Amino acid sequence: MSTDLAVADRVGPARGGRTGGATAPHERLRRGPGRWLVLTAAVLLAVAMMVPFAIMLLNAFKSPTDYSTNGPLSLPTSLYTDGLVNFWNRVDYPGKLVNSIVISGSVAFLATVVSLLNAYALGIGRIKGRLWIVMLFLLANMLPQEALIYPLYYLAKQTGLYNTQLSVIIIFTVIQSAFGTYLLASVFSTFPPSVLEAAALDGASRWQVLWRVVFPISRPTLAVLVIFFFIWTWNEFFIPLVMLIDNATQTIPVAIASLQGDRLMDAPTINAGSLISLLPAVIFFLIFQRTLTRGITAGAVK
Amino acid sequence: MTTVTHPPARATTTPTRRRARPRSGQGTYWLYLVPGAVLFIGVIVVPFFMNLYYSMTRWPGIGEPRWIGFDNYTRLFADDTFWLSFRNSVAMIVAMVVVPTLVGLLLAAVLFDYLGKRFDGRVASGLRATYYLPQILPVAVAGILWGWVLNPQTGALNVILRNLGLESWALNWLGDTGTALPTVMLVMIWVQVGYPVVIFMAALQRVDPELYEAAELDGAGWFRRFRAITLPQIKPETFVVTLTCTIAALKVFGPIYVLTKGGPENSTNVPSYFAYQNFFPKSQVGYGAAIAMVLTVIVIIVSIIFMRVQAASERKEGI
Amino acid sequence: MTRRRHGRLVAGLLVLPLALAACSGGTDDTDGGDEGTGGETAATEGGTLKLWHYESADGAMGIAWDEAIKVFEEETGATVEFERKAFEQIQQTAGMVLSSDEGPDIMEYNKGNATAGLLSSQGLLTDLTDVAEERGWTDMLPESIQTTARYENGVMGSGPWFGVPNYGEFVTVYYNKAMFEEYGVEVPTTLTEMEDVMDTFVAAGVVPLGMAGAEYPAGQLFYELALSKADRDFVSAYQTYTDDVDFQADPLKYGAETFDAWVKAGYVAQDSASIKAEDMGVAFINGTTPMIVSGSWWYGRFVSEITGFDWGIFNFPGNTLNAGSSGNIWVVPENSANKELAYEFIDITMRPEIQALLGNNGGLPLNADPADLTDPKSQELITAFNEVLDNDGLAFYPDWPVPGYYDVLVAAFQSLINQSKTPEEVLTEIGTAYDDGVANIG
Repeated sequence: MSTDLAVADRVGPARGGRTGGATAPHERLRRGPGRWLVLTAAVLLAVAMMVPFAIMLLNAFKSPTDYSTNGPLSLPTSLYTDGLVNFWNRVDYPGKLVNSIVISGSVAFLATVVSLLNAYALGIGRIKGRLWIVMLFLLANMLPQEALIYPLYYLAKQTGLYNTQLSVIIIFTVIQSAFGTYLLASVFSTFPPSVLEAAALDGASRWQVLWRVVFPISRPTLAVLVIFFFIWTWNEFFIPLVMLIDNATQTIPVAIASLQGDRLMDAPTINAGSLISLLPAVIFFLIFQRTLTRGITAGAVK
Repeated sequence: MTTVTHPPARATTTPTRRRARPRSGQGTYWLYLVPGAVLFIGVIVVPFFMNLYYSMTRWPGIGEPRWIGFDNYTRLFADDTFWLSFRNSVAMIVAMVVVPTLVGLLLAAVLFDYLGKRFDGRVASGLRATYYLPQILPVAVAGILWGWVLNPQTGALNVILRNLGLESWALNWLGDTGTALPTVMLVMIWVQVGYPVVIFMAALQRVDPELYEAAELDGAGWFRRFRAITLPQIKPETFVVTLTCTIAALKVFGPIYVLTKGGPENSTNVPSYFAYQNFFPKSQVGYGAAIAMVLTVIVIIVSIIFMRVQAASERKEGI
Repeated sequence: MTRRRHGRLVAGLLVLPLALAACSGGTDDTDGGDEGTGGETAATEGGTLKLWHYESADGAMGIAWDEAIKVFEEETGATVEFERKAFEQIQQTAGMVLSSDEGPDIMEYNKGNATAGLLSSQGLLTDLTDVAEERGWTDMLPESIQTTARYENGVMGSGPWFGVPNYGEFVTVYYNKAMFEEYGVEVPTTLTEMEDVMDTFVAAGVVPLGMAGAEYPAGQLFYELALSKADRDFVSAYQTYTDDVDFQADPLKYGAETFDAWVKAGYVAQDSASIKAEDMGVAFINGTTPMIVSGSWWYGRFVSEITGFDWGIFNFPGNTLNAGSSGNIWVVPENSANKELAYEFIDITMRPEIQALLGNNGGLPLNADPADLTDPKSQELITAFNEVLDNDGLAFYPDWPVPGYYDVLVAAFQSLINQSKTPEEVLTEIGTAYDDGVANIG
């Protein structure tokens, strides 16, 4: 880490020294060996962080015998795809995928909307006692999930929502939007009031200000929320485990858990299953990453 | 929307301006809280009080809870394991808050402000995605993979160290009471670091590029710009990251469960795992609820202190 | 205008859950009576049996029960709606599931006070005493196996039947025949001989005994060692609280001290505190470890995955008592809509042909015809198990007596493996937790 800093520091002043305003700054920035050093350090760190994923990949295509005989760290002796096929069929992967997407997608969307509405009132509206209201909402993040589970089970049973995906969607919409409300409200409190004033002078209503002024500007942060909510919900295990008891309603992490028995586990299948379960979330992240990047350029152009 | 290129709030806003903001119909902002509040009451407030009730009962999780008043709490305050587990919470805060926030800040700045401007934009996004990947991996699977890396006899780490001739560095990572906690901390840093990177990079996108260009023309170096512009501008996100990570660190459960189950010899036990042991394996739901309640109160206190600091800092900024 | 749109959104959010609640409210009309079929799907002639278990598809039980499902469907004309569950899900949520109307008609469940015992005491499981009598299960199952079937106020061992076991499990010693030959040692018949064998390996620089301090194997080895000095009275006292248990005296004292001595002698690796059972098993499969003391649940996997060498088992030398019990049990929830079908299914799993299938795939059948057990490798295991059964030698598991004791034992034996505590300290630690736990139950 410290090398990054040192390099950056060394390069920085050198560049700052040359204030020849005429040269195009980007041309200037693209020269120099320092950038390669920083890049190498950043890539090395990334590679180090990927090691566990490499091990997963290694074991996803190993036969159980190969895994047991040669251990988890050897190269596969042959390409074995039955683990993937077994996982796919045994847990009905397409069905679980749909369930996971429906739940995570709904939560990502609903929780972002709820966060935006809450934060609009708290961060822009700056209503009285907002600090305490944000605190209260954050309670959803503070309560350990074990503490919620028995009451939620009871309430879900009373309302007939037990064993429905809707129960999980509602629960996570609340839990995730607590975080979203806090983040957006904090960000909105730095929002330039002059923009709001200008809009108000144009005769825009609150509702219009929200969607035509606040919403576009906060798009990068909203994209972060959508990504986080989707991925967090995607990986949630405990509440879906309790609330969704039919295989037809369950999500992918619960399905992966069914590969790990009382005393035995099926390591190659778990690796294969995790690999294909990871892909949708990664793809989702990569797609949304593009909207993140687009957010910057759009802002820069204006 | 034509006036986006406003200088940031700090530069222009004065107290007079703030007061000049239209105040009419302030009350209608409340309406925007209604959907959130209704859901919140159903999913959090009611269960919160139900849990409070359970914490005053003796209850195995099914059947009728038996009221015992504050017995669970008196028992809990005398329970050494619970208080000892908080010592490990401090370690978790270091591993899940302090280090990831600092490293994340630096990485985000380097990716966005340095590499992002010197290489194709895809380089920075690619690296960001890579740093974030551990957050996507289900924690149960991460536990198995790290188990293989850290296995003292056959694990990748020790095999590499031995091949390098560093036999004495090949430790019993998760098995020795002295190394287990630091090792869990390292894994937590690995898990956690991508989260601040993503948030901070999004935060940096809010910052007006003109500020940087102006500073650069003034001859400010990278590090000075980082301190004078980047840090103050992304302060809201910094608070959010620190507080949410602190909450997460205080109630961390999954990674402990899959890596060490609180062992060896309880050296990595944390309050949430302790609560879990009572909720499920021991079927002492009442006692588990009391643990969860005390843990929640502690989290609330920490959060209040935190948000007070944040509010004070916002006031100082004069926003 | 804007206000109205806003209002509608709020109303929508409020109504949505209510509307869905109303929809699903219509279907939960089953009252758990024997006749009540859960509504829309159960249209087939013979009805539908909703069945859950968590055995892997290619394990002994998975294979045998698949066959049982086929036979059941043929004979009764009913349809089996089978779902394979995550072990963790059943373990943690069975109480919740069975108190709702969404549960199965029959399911596999863990034996023990904290699981089947607790649910039976809350009236969530059907009393099977009469059915077991009627269908002859009481005669099919050996006495020590029946322990896990019967619960009196939630405590295992006596009282009415709430579950039906149909396979067994026990702890034995797996050994690598090739390594035994290589180092010129014989299968030991006494504990002293066992130590001699291990000395030979240690002298050659091989750690003789696989260990996994992070999970159940350490506690089971301790228990095996203690059982070498124990009798049936001790087991009853320890498991069912019939008498006080002195942790500072034999057999438990002997167990902890010998465990400690084995660590000191290098029989057990000192860096095994964080090892998981899976890694211990893999080290045996790949020929690194000459011996492991562990359960019959590995057997099927070893048969299919050990390819490079010959291996076998022998019962823990000198012990008449061994850790072991019935396997998991079939339970019929009180809310089951098809109890008669559930009984019929259990009965089919008890048939000799299904039991033989179980036995020929590495499981331990309880009601098989020996002539049907043709697989030679499986015979070896079944013979060893029958030897234990004939001696009335099943002593259950060390973590059974009190809820949450598993974690206590794991932590305690980690400190013996790490040599950070003396056996006396460890015994005090596990003794205190035992006494607290028992006091909590009584």
